[in-house]
Amino acid sequence: MKFKTQKIAYWFFAAAMLLLVLQIIYGFIMGFARIGMDGLHEWIPFNTARATHTNLLVFWLLLGFMGSAYFIIPEESDRELMWPWLAWIQLISFLLVGVVALIGYHVNWWEGRKFLEIPRPLDYLVVVNVLAFLANIGSTVWYGKRYTTTSIVLYFGLLTAALLYLPGMIDFDNQTLDSFYRWWVVHLWVEGVWELIMGALLCYLLIKLTGVDRELVEKWLYIIVGLTFLSGILGTGHHYYYIGAPRYWLMVGGIFSALEPLAFLGMAIYALAMAKKGGRRHPNKTALNWTLGSAIMSFVGAGFLGFAHTLPQVNMWTHGTLVTAMHGHLAFWGAYAMIVLAMIAYCLPVMTGRKLWDNAPSGAAFWLSNIGMVGMTGALAVAGITQVNLERRMGLDFLSVQKEIEVHFIGMLLAACLFLLGILFFLWNFWRFGLPNDEAVHSDVRAAERDAPTPEPLPAS
Amino acid sequence: MLTKFQARAFFLGGTAVFTGIFLILTIDTHRQVPEQTNDSSITPQVAAGKKLWEQNNCMGCHTLFGEGAYYAPELTKVVDRRGRDWIKVFMKDPEAMFPGQRKMVKYEFTDQEIGEVIAFLEWCGKVDLNGFPAEPPLKKLMQPDTGTMASASGELPASVAATVALPPMFEQKSCTGCHRILGKGTPGVMLPNAVTGEVVPAPALDLVHQRKTREELIAWISDPQKVKPGSPMPKLTPALVSPQEVEQMVDFLLSLKAHTPTN
Ligand code: HEM
Ligand code: HEM
Ligand SMILES: [Fe+2]
Repeated sequence: MKFKTQKIAYWFFAAAMLLLVLQIIYGFIMGFARIGMDGLHEWIPFNTARATHTNLLVFWLLLGFMGSAYFIIPEESDRELMWPWLAWIQLISFLLVGVVALIGYHVNWWEGRKFLEIPRPLDYLVVVNVLAFLANIGSTVWYGKRYTTTSIVLYFGLLTAALLYLPGMIDFDNQTLDSFYRWWVVHLWVEGVWELIMGALLCYLLIKLTGVDRELVEKWLYIIVGLTFLSGILGTGHHYYYIGAPRYWLMVGGIFSALEPLAFLGMAIYALAMAKKGGRRHPNKTALNWTLGSAIMSFVGAGFLGFAHTLPQVNMWTHGTLVTAMHGHLAFWGAYAMIVLAMIAYCLPVMTGRKLWDNAPSGAAFWLSNIGMVGMTGALAVAGITQVNLERRMGLDFLSVQKEIEVHFIGMLLAACLFLLGILFFLWNFWRFGLPNDEAVHSDVRAAERDAPTPEPLPAS
Repeated sequence: MLTKFQARAFFLGGTAVFTGIFLILTIDTHRQVPEQTNDSSITPQVAAGKKLWEQNNCMGCHTLFGEGAYYAPELTKVVDRRGRDWIKVFMKDPEAMFPGQRKMVKYEFTDQEIGEVIAFLEWCGKVDLNGFPAEPPLKKLMQPDTGTMASASGELPASVAATVALPPMFEQKSCTGCHRILGKGTPGVMLPNAVTGEVVPAPALDLVHQRKTREELIAWISDPQKVKPGSPMPKLTPALVSPQEVEQMVDFLLSLKAHTPTN
């Protein structure tokens, strides 16, 4: 760690981890409700649990992105963060808004638009908060000693993510238009600008962990985010097939969204190639595992499983079934959850000066959570495909079909236990690192790297 | 190989071009959506229904236009499927109609609010969704044979249906939403028993006079749960069907005896 203000990232990460645990608890509440154990229905009905589960997900990922930006931007810009106090205010107020929103969901105060359930007054507070964040990061880049592609792409991703939040706040009486703009947020985030953020984090981690030449990594970063927008913008059409929008979206959305996996494939190949080419083995193998894991799992979850139901001929049958939930889980996990966990795995040793990287709990965290998540995805896939066949193709009644597929949710819950165990190992490790400290400034990994089995000099970066 | 400069140009150029196309298509969508969605039929009542839909996060369990959660049924065509009256009764107390099933929140809606929600859903049902939801293609393979084997499926031959008129109340009160009567209604809707978990088809009613007496039929329709706990058949009385109407229905069903061929 080069700068004292980078330590702020730690608190964003810690808050994110807390929310991750809460998210999982609400996942379990829903999983149990699905096998008939809905004893909490009076207090936490399914829609409350669901809004809480998905909003916590988005919330902790955003905290993870912000923390990552507070860590990366000072280093890339070669200066301290512009206004560290503002970062603190921003963290605390962001958490407050989140807590109020989550309480609101438990007392029927929300907006009832999937993923954008935050009540309108709080939307404005989120906007102010994010403006403060962007100003802080932006001025650090602006007054920095150097501009790097990584920091520019990261900043551009965060800025456009903020801008795209706004169309989600337009009111319509027409459900079709309402939905049309809701996707400007949801789709253009996860299949657009968030990929820039992911790409930038991936790029930073690859430079740090593999020692490959920055010029080369950053050139490919442009190609990959170029592919993302080339396919992802018009790919929004895959949500416009069946909501009352013109028919040409079937063609436009079908063709361009079918190209979207290319960006994820590119990301995976790029990460693996750089890791091989870099040669230098950073001793923090756990961070490298998460980094490469994210590149691979995002291709499987978003690219492959997204492609599986993106053509209109297929989507006609799978639209709005558990097949969608299956894809949603692995895509969010691979692309965004894992990249945030990779950043944490990389940053913690650097911020705390402790070298607790390759130990049994960190390995267990990686493998258990991934095996658990793949198991959950598998269970949802079987449930989803059965639902599509019985309900959509044979025309059986919804609730009867749900009874038939209940058993797969027992499987999902078992896999979820493995997943949870993995996350608990991750948190345990997080805890053992202790707090970030000023001694870690400048001493950081460089010292640790000297102890690494194959020490090679760092490229000047 | 590409230089970094070219790579950046690819990114910026591609983004600009595809953003441009996207915006043009967005403008065109705005041009076409009013007609495709019957925008002019969005009355204040429909708009109020949409507000209620959002304020209560119905999408947190149901899907609409295939969007939402997967815990409860898709509602785009629900007014076609169940009818207005059925929905009215159901919303008053969801659990009373389907005891022991997956629970829905019991909202304290006024009659006016229920009317607004139904108006909204009715508007949704008329939007042209490019063919969604599609008619289940394999359903016909599962229909009971209504030809000469009619009595085995519990139905009278089509020739009877052609001569005897089904009183409209069987459709208005949503009976045909689950049962088949004189060739009308959905065949073989499969429903689970809440107690035994057994999934059974709602039977055709043409030959019910052979299975049940007048008293049994009246008791059954008045309160299915009382006769067979866990039955998936909802209690429709007295909110949707009055006691007199129950008797009229039963008398009609018994009158079909005269049309049943003896062999
Ligand atoms: C990291 C990237 C991605 C994430 C996090 C993600 C996540 C999700 C989520 C949460 C949904 C459900 C949205 C809702 O119904 O409100 C969804 C829907 C969908 N996604 Fe993705 N996705 C990603 C990438 C992709 C890609 C690359 C494709 C196509 C190749 C794709 C295809 C689809 C389709 C077709 C649907 C609509 C499903 C339906 O009709 O119900 N996704 N995605
Ligand atoms: C113990 C772990 C978990 C369990 C038991 C669980 C369970 C569930 C359930 C039951 C749903 C609702 C599906 C429905 O509408 O019927 C859901 C939705 C969702 N969960 Fe999880 N979840 C877990 C962890 C996660 C994690 C770690 C992520 C992200 C990385 C995640 C992302 C999502 C998303 C994006 C949705 C919305 C999907 C859609 O709308 O298609 N969940 N989850
Ligand atoms: Fe999408």
